[in-house]
Amino acid sequence: MSSPFGGILGGLIRHRGVTGCMVVGEHDGMIVESNLQVGIQGTAFAALTASLYRKARRAALAAGLGEIGFFELDAEFGRVCATGRNDLVLVVVAGEHLNVGLVRVEMLDALEALA
Amino acid sequence: MNIAVAASWVEAPLRRFVDEARVQLAVLLLPSGQVLGQFGFARSVDVMTACALAAAINASSGELGRQLDGKPFMALHYVGRARQIYLASVPTADASLVLLAVFDDESSLGLVQLFFQEFRVEVAAAAPPASTEPPALGGDFERELNRNLAVLFGRA
Repeated sequence: MSSPFGGILGGLIRHRGVTGCMVVGEHDGMIVESNLQVGIQGTAFAALTASLYRKARRAALAAGLGEIGFFELDAEFGRVCATGRNDLVLVVVAGEHLNVGLVRVEMLDALEALA
Repeated sequence: MNIAVAASWVEAPLRRFVDEARVQLAVLLLPSGQVLGQFGFARSVDVMTACALAAAINASSGELGRQLDGKPFMALHYVGRARQIYLASVPTADASLVLLAVFDDESSLGLVQLFFQEFRVEVAAAAPPASTEPPALGGDFERELNRNLAVLFGRA
């Protein structure tokens, strides 16, 4: 059975540096669908990232900045990128060699599929 | 943080769980309904009620799981309008405890599940062997129940 998010995740995981991507419920932090390399703790990562995204969204709204567009967390050895719509969050986790611009464009394009 | 415990080994795992998972209420109890530790309740009667209901739900869902699946369900999640409950078994070497957690939009099911897994491991490591503890449903159950509630609310 084909999934509505399989194509999006399949496209994102092929980018250089991407080690995992998933669609997560924003409010429950549960994985809807994922494509992860071995070694990534999917459920923990999904719960924590969804929480982070939700708080960032609320912070942006509280500051009068409107809805969050794209969320990027820059860490010592990689990045976490997230964007969302309709209670779903598209998350990408990547190493140091990620072309952020390219992935960002593809993630924002993929928002239509989450609508 | 307003945590009260009837057994000292409960405090550290419960404090960490409440702090990390951002739950509003949490109770760790024996399957009999006897409370071991709580967070967030102001009145002993509320703890007693929550423990009685949690024990009953745990017993019912456990039996339902046995009937359907041959083994008890491990956890139950219920979504209300503003709050959600998560009720799950916490196995130790000699017994199975029950954790009831209530949370709202500040947390999520994913976070509660995540930190519950750590809580289970910590409780299993910290729980004393059953031989050093009195039986859960001994002849003096009611006295023990009241003693635990009194300890929790500073009346012991």
